[in-house]
Formats: sequence, C-alpha cells, structure tokens
Amino acid sequence: MKSLFTIKSGGAASWAMRLAVAAVLAALMLWVPTRGSDSLIEVCTTAFTLMAAALSLNLLLGYAGQISLGHSAFFGIGTYTTAVMVTRWGWSPFHTLPVAFVLAFVVGVLVSLPALRIKGVYLALVTLALGMVFPQFIKWKKLSWLTGGAKGINDTGFKFTKDNPTYEIFGWNPWGNLRGQNVKPFYFWVGAIIVLVVYLICRGVVKSRVGRSLVAIRDNSTAAAVMGVNLPVTKGIVFGLSAAMCALPGSLSAIRTGTVTADTQLLTVAGSITFLVIMVVGGAGSLWGPIIGAAVYQFIIERTGGWTEPDAIPALFRPFFGWSKTAPGGGLFAIALILLMFVAPLGLVGLWRQHSVRLCRVVPKPAGTTTISVMAAAPAAVDETHTA
Amino acid sequence: MTLLRTRGLTAGYGPVTVLHGLDLEVAEGEIVVILGANGAGKTTTMRAISGTIPRAGSVEFEGHDVHKSAPDAIVRAGIAQVPQGRGTFPELSVEDNLKVGAFVRRDGGGKIGADALRWFEVFPRLAERRSQRAGSLSGGEQQMLAIARALMSRPKLLLCDEPSMGLAPLITQELFQVLERLNKEEGLSVLLVEQNANLAMHMADRVYLLETGRIVASGSAAELSADDSIRKAYLGF
Repeated sequence: MKSLFTIKSGGAASWAMRLAVAAVLAALMLWVPTRGSDSLIEVCTTAFTLMAAALSLNLLLGYAGQISLGHSAFFGIGTYTTAVMVTRWGWSPFHTLPVAFVLAFVVGVLVSLPALRIKGVYLALVTLALGMVFPQFIKWKKLSWLTGGAKGINDTGFKFTKDNPTYEIFGWNPWGNLRGQNVKPFYFWVGAIIVLVVYLICRGVVKSRVGRSLVAIRDNSTAAAVMGVNLPVTKGIVFGLSAAMCALPGSLSAIRTGTVTADTQLLTVAGSITFLVIMVVGGAGSLWGPIIGAAVYQFIIERTGGWTEPDAIPALFRPFFGWSKTAPGGGLFAIALILLMFVAPLGLVGLWRQHSVRLCRVVPKPAGTTTISVMAAAPAAVDETHTA
Repeated sequence: MTLLRTRGLTAGYGPVTVLHGLDLEVAEGEIVVILGANGAGKTTTMRAISGTIPRAGSVEFEGHDVHKSAPDAIVRAGIAQVPQGRGTFPELSVEDNLKVGAFVRRDGGGKIGADALRWFEVFPRLAERRSQRAGSLSGGEQQMLAIARALMSRPKLLLCDEPSMGLAPLITQELFQVLERLNKEEGLSVLLVEQNANLAMHMADRVYLLETGRIVASGSAAELSADDSIRKAYLGF
C-alpha cells in the first residue's frame, strides 16, 4: 500500500506528531474544566469512569484472554466500599480508594480460582453469575445494616462547605470552586487522574516481561506453560489487578453522585456488558482502545439523550427513530458495534492501524542494530550420511 | 552421566491411561529418539516429562526427583520443550517470542539479548523477521522460532516433539543439522519424538520404540536397524 508520507519511528517527524497529539490532548484537558459547560464536564467525567473500567477489563480480556462478565461486581465493590466507609465510619472519600483497590484485588483473586480450570464460555458463565449475584447480595436483608439494602446509601461523597479553600491560577479555576458552588471540575480531575493511574498500570504491565507472558497465555497457554510461565499465579494476579483497577472508577461514582443503590446500571450485569462493548468497539488488546471506545460511547449516548420526542430528532434520523419513546443511544451504539464487526473486527484502533498506513507510514527502527555474522554457513555443513 | 531417568512413568487423560510405565534414560550429551506410530504415546511422554499433564511414577533430572514439580519448576531445572505443532505465539513479534522463552531467566536483559542474537545467527531467517508477528511466518520459520525460543531458557535437555510435522524435507534436514550441531558443540542433550524414522535414526545415539504406551524395543540406532523383524515392523525400511 502506498503512503503519502513515510517517517521513521524515533525520528524528528515522529516526535513532532507525538508532541502535536499531546498538545491537543493537554489543551482539551484544560479547556473542558475551565471553559466547558457544566454538562460537558459531567459527560467527560462519566466517560472517564467508563474508560477506567474498560481499561481494567482490557488487561484481563484483551491481553490475557480471560473473559469476565463480572466486572460490574468489582465496580460495585468500589462503589460500596467507599459508600460504606464514608457514611458508616466517617472516612475521607479519597482514603477509601486504596481500601477498595485492595478489597477488589482479593475478591478478584478468589474469583480467578475457578478461572484456573475453565476458559471461554464456561468462564464467561461463572463471571456472569458473579455479576448477577452482586446486586442481590447488596440487597440482602441481613446485610442491610451495612449496605442499606434496596434503598441504598445517601451522602456518600464529599461535604463541601464555605470553609473549603479555593485555588486559582491567573484567574483560572481549573479544579472548580470548592466552596460548594461548582465542584464539577474537581470530579473531572479526579476522574482524569484515575484514568491516568489505571492506564499507567496497564501500560507498565503490558510492556513488561509479564505483559508478554499474558499474551503468550492468550495465544497458546500450553506453550506458555512449557516456557515456564506459571499459569495459576499469573492468571490469579492479573484477575486481581484487573478487578482492583475496576473498583477505582466505582469508588469515583460513589463520591461523585453522593447516592448509591444496587440497581444503578453500571452495578448490574448491564454494566459488565457496557464495559465489554466499549472495549470491543475501541479495540481489544490495545492500550488506547478502551479510552477511545468510552469517548465514542459517551458521545453517542449524550448526543442522542434528548431524542425522546420525534421533533427533537434531526431530520436525517427522524424516520428511523421517530417511533420510539426512549432515547435510541444504546440501540445506535449496538448498530455501530455490529457494523464495526464487519469492517473492523479489531475495533476503532484496529481500523485506524489498517487505514492510517495510506496517509502516513511509520517505519520501525531498523531491526538488528548489531551486525549479524551468519554462523559459518551452517546449513552447508551437511553430513552426506544424513541424507541417505 | 544420566541426565533424565524415568521409572514406571504412567500418564493419561482423564480416565484413559496412555503410558503404561515407561523406563527411559537420557545421558548427558546424548540424542535420544522416540519412535512410534500415531497414538503410541510419544507426545504424552513429552507432556508427562514437562509436567503439563498429571503423571505417576518417578522422573529424575540430574539426580533430583522432579515428578511432582510444576511445569515452570521443570523449565527452571533445565528442561525445555518444543511443543508439538510449534506453539509459537502468533500475536507476539519474533523477538518477543524469544523473550518469553527466556521467561524463567533472572540474569538480566543484556545476556538475554545476547542469546537472542546468537539464535538469530543460527537461524538468519528469523533475524530478517525479527519485528514481524510470529503468526506471519512460514511453517518452517515458526519451527525454527519454536526451537530458538526453547533454547532461550538455556536448557540442559531439549524435548522436541515432532519438529518435522508439516515441513518440507529440506527444512527438516536443516533443522536436524542445527540440533545435531548444538549437541556436538555445546553438549546439549536432546530427546526427540519423530515419525520420520529414517531421518531421525541417523542422528540418534539411542532409540526407543514405543507401541501403545509401552517400550517394545530400545538400543542404538545400528542395533535396531540391524534387527530385521523390528526394521520391517516399525521402521519401514
């Protein structure tokens, strides 16, 4: 395939491109919380929540090849750990994040025990059971002294008062006015930091020796075992880590909304499916896939959120969705998913990798920087008797 | 000195017992070939030694009993396996496949990189495809990669499960020459499973003949091919 441009990886042009992307991202990150509307900030924070959850699932499914339909439960463990500790024991919300992380890690490792013996559809079923049991468990009457039962828990977030300090740089207030007036940018930054932390953990794991062993397990677990990869330990740790990372956005949602109930969409199996679909649409097994997937998902949901009346729908789409009384966002996303499976089974990131070559080809660093002297024409040293 | 010794090695899958008490030995610096028809238990023998299936009986490696060890402990002890059907990791690059082969080594990136370069010298075709996905290699190249990957753990004993499967005769020969050279120059011991009796017997120090999970004959290649009845019944030449 011909490309318009060819640049060398690690060269000046490649760095310029990276810098440009970083600059655009940085500008967006500063513009949204300072100049963006409140609803835009809210949407972005929700997108961050989904990004972190989808990233955590991606480590488990995209890289290690272990399916989980129970990530909503890990998300919920984060939510409820924060809610319970803040309301019952008076913890500061941020201090509950490490607790949620550790708790979800332990539960994740426990859930991985059956995963050591089963795979594929059977693992999907076991984890699906976890996702289905979790809301029921929370609503269990005998636990309602702790979890609030079906009513849920209120006042799980920060208490902002007139005494809170507020910070400004050059008249800007990028983290919002913390005196209880506008705290949305604050949550925006918390969400962004959680995504960054989860991304860096995933990146650290994936680019390491352990990351290679994860892909090895996914590609051929028997061969990985005879290479000396300890399957039970590796699977257990990656399951725990993925669960732990998924608890962080869960905690954020408890802090941000201030109310938690077991029937919130992301805490039920629908949440697991949402994370899964976001990951697949964005691109499984790539670090940026879930991030892009979550952004696109939240964009579609937001844009079509008001399409409940025929008059509110743009003329182009009205014939298709005018009959429906509910917002068609989920349905639209489902159609996008089906179409993507035809044109880009590797998700949006896969689509980009496939087609960006036409525009610009990045030549990898030349392989074999050390001179390779072919070992004294090895194949030529044929002992004639061997060909008999 | 005996490197690997199994006594009454029994293994199978679920309720089915495939191996009925094998007594095998591989001495240091030896190339030992296991011959047998399909279903004789050759691959099961390999798996039983590398610990990837449950087994009974004793497996001694360098005088230590390893029959209860997990697969990763066995790799660390110095037994590497080239699994049947190559078993390369298609989504990893050639270089990363080699790095996974060195998974159990703790002696730092420099030495591992030097070893990778060394196998690139032995298999120049892998060097050309260094950053390519392993899945995009040809069958022969994948087999070379599988062997190089197994050697990355610096094993004392290499288990090779039918490296000739699905390869052109010339490539097979080339691979066997590499194995033989490693054996002569580095003293690498090799336990090789083969269907191609003709080719394998020429490089073997000793041969075991396997039939329905039992050893029916063993000895040097010359001894076995001298015995007419064995030659006709099992070797087919």
